[in-house]
Amino acid sequence: MDKDTAISVEHVSKKYCKSLKRSMVYGLMDIGRNMLGMSSRSERLRKGEFWALNDISFEVKKGETLGIIGPNGSGKTTLLKLLNGIFWPDKGKITIKGKVGALIELGAGFHPMLTGRENIYINAAILGMTKKEVDKKFDEIVEFADIGDFIDTPVKFYSSGMHLRLAFAVVIHSEPDIFLIDEILAVGDAPFQMKCFGKIRGLIKDKKTVIIATHDMSIIQRYTNKVCILYDGKMQGIELPKDAINQYLALISNLPHKDIEQEAIKIERNKRIISYPKISDDTLMKLMPLDKCPKKSNYNRNEFRYGNGSASIIDFEILNESREEIFCIKSKEIFFVRCRVIFKEDVKRPIFGISFKNKEGLELYGTNSLLKKMEIKEQAKGDDIWIEYKLKANLQAGEYFISVGVAAFEEERIIPLDRRYDLAIVSVLPTDESFGLVNLEGEIRITN
Amino acid sequence: MDLNEIIITYEPDNILRKGCFNIFKEILTEINRNKWLTYQLFRRDFLSSYKQSFLGIIWAIIFPFVSIFIFIALNRSGILNIGDIGVPYSIYALIGIAFWQFFSNGLVACSHSLVNAGPMIIKINFSKKSLVIASIGKAIIPLIIHIILICILFIGYGKTPSIMSLLFPIFIIPLLLFTLGLGFFTSLLNGVIRDIGNIITILLMFLMFFTPVLYAKPKTGILAIVTRYNPLYYLVSSPRDLILKGVIDEWYGFLIVSLISIILFIICLFGFHITETRVTERI
Repeated sequence: MDKDTAISVEHVSKKYCKSLKRSMVYGLMDIGRNMLGMSSRSERLRKGEFWALNDISFEVKKGETLGIIGPNGSGKTTLLKLLNGIFWPDKGKITIKGKVGALIELGAGFHPMLTGRENIYINAAILGMTKKEVDKKFDEIVEFADIGDFIDTPVKFYSSGMHLRLAFAVVIHSEPDIFLIDEILAVGDAPFQMKCFGKIRGLIKDKKTVIIATHDMSIIQRYTNKVCILYDGKMQGIELPKDAINQYLALISNLPHKDIEQEAIKIERNKRIISYPKISDDTLMKLMPLDKCPKKSNYNRNEFRYGNGSASIIDFEILNESREEIFCIKSKEIFFVRCRVIFKEDVKRPIFGISFKNKEGLELYGTNSLLKKMEIKEQAKGDDIWIEYKLKANLQAGEYFISVGVAAFEEERIIPLDRRYDLAIVSVLPTDESFGLVNLEGEIRITN
Repeated sequence: MDLNEIIITYEPDNILRKGCFNIFKEILTEINRNKWLTYQLFRRDFLSSYKQSFLGIIWAIIFPFVSIFIFIALNRSGILNIGDIGVPYSIYALIGIAFWQFFSNGLVACSHSLVNAGPMIIKINFSKKSLVIASIGKAIIPLIIHIILICILFIGYGKTPSIMSLLFPIFIIPLLLFTLGLGFFTSLLNGVIRDIGNIITILLMFLMFFTPVLYAKPKTGILAIVTRYNPLYYLVSSPRDLILKGVIDEWYGFLIVSLISIILFIICLFGFHITETRVTERI
């Protein structure tokens, strides 16, 4: 291990048992074996067991901040628990240099009946502080928690915010060299979050090693040096934050994709068994234009689609100014949304439209070729075209849904041919210079 | 900062490779380093169990009081044939009960210590030995209260205990080690299989009647043989003999059982140390 390495994880795996009864039996067997001085032979999977983490390796240097991202159930918390020594790995080796402090769940050691004061001492002791340290830092802790007179009130009468503040205050003052943070900062109100992040920034500045497991891409973007992507217990790689975010978004929107593919393979196999005349993929494509959207990594499987089917949107892509496909857009950046439409009937006056919604479903922007007073020529059956929308991301950080549609204008009426609401998800990365819903690109000038 | 440069390695079974001497050293440093934690955990249990009640700590006195009255009533009515003891029965019984309950409360508290702290131990890494040791505190408080009551009874009956009884704290150490040793073991088992907690409660009820706590050692019959090989008999009755008579009648038996207690304690502590983390994930 290098001198400046804080954590080294080598081929670590951890298994869990699905069945409670089996887990009891295995537990007894393990205790028995260990007590007799025999190896637990933990590298084998017994019936009902599965690898919750599989062959994870990485290294974190002192002063670095590592992010851990992955969908729910991918093993983030298990990994943190292994790093904290709460669980032992079943395979591999973890080496840790320095005192570890963990924020796996805030206030886990609090007793609701006891007062804030009593709980501070007890919790601090559990977190490994000595009496001298607590005595010295007690006032500081109370001040950070900002709970005022409530210090001598049982914790069960605290608001959840006070509870959280007190818990965070104790942990942050236990002064670990390595700090493990699990998602917890998603709770709490904004001023508290700001205070916490201020502290975390302080830790990073003090060259402490920080590991953050989160779903929040803006935390990853702002605080981490590198990111470990977990999926289904396996490590997808150690990446720079920028690349990791793209990969992660691709990963989560790909979740149903795998099933679709498997379904397709199954159908393909069945076909073979019944022995249809074998047709080439090309002709298959021509006969039945496949919808490529679900294979896109930023596809939203909860899209809402309707229309009379005279035309189909079968593909889309989001490009940046240099015409590269992207999943995240920087605020204020120019980007393009392109979609491919195939016509199954002749359509005299087609209309193409797009709209953007935020996570709450609020429509933020929409336009179409009719509003833009564009004259679009008649499309014939079998026509295969790409429509391109050029846009500017005057948005704040967050996730946005893109809807696209094709309609026909007949007898002063709009007839939907194919509308795909919330077809794709796109992330806008934060800028540090403004806040709110939209980015008005404000500039400040002073004159007299 | 460099003082904190401890390097920790987590690896499957690496504890088994360390050798007995190192494990023993590790256990001792851990217990020693966590003395304050143990005290805080004890305080947590103690403070929380008497909060949100008007009588509070007085409840700890009420229970033994009730038990004395029951014994006096039983004895007066002649239901209990307790044999020749040579002192007022209530004193005899209360001393017996004090030590017995120290064992049974202690064992029950230890057995549940890991399970009760389950949500905590899967989120924070701290010394689980401290949890078990701290839970013995739940048995020490009633013992102290019992002893005060025993003193009151001695005064009430106008009797004086033997001067040797001041030494009794030393003579209950074997009982303490026996309880803690078993407690370390049962807390692990209960962590994995919850049935253990209930089994212990039932077993303790039986054991109390098979152990001469409330009656004198029987001289004949099966019970006499059972008593002869019952370690708890020696652990409970020897400190009692010391208080009442100033001498231990069966010091030879007591010595052997004390030795067994020490060995049991060490073995169980070792076992606990080796398997505590394995058990954490099953809690």
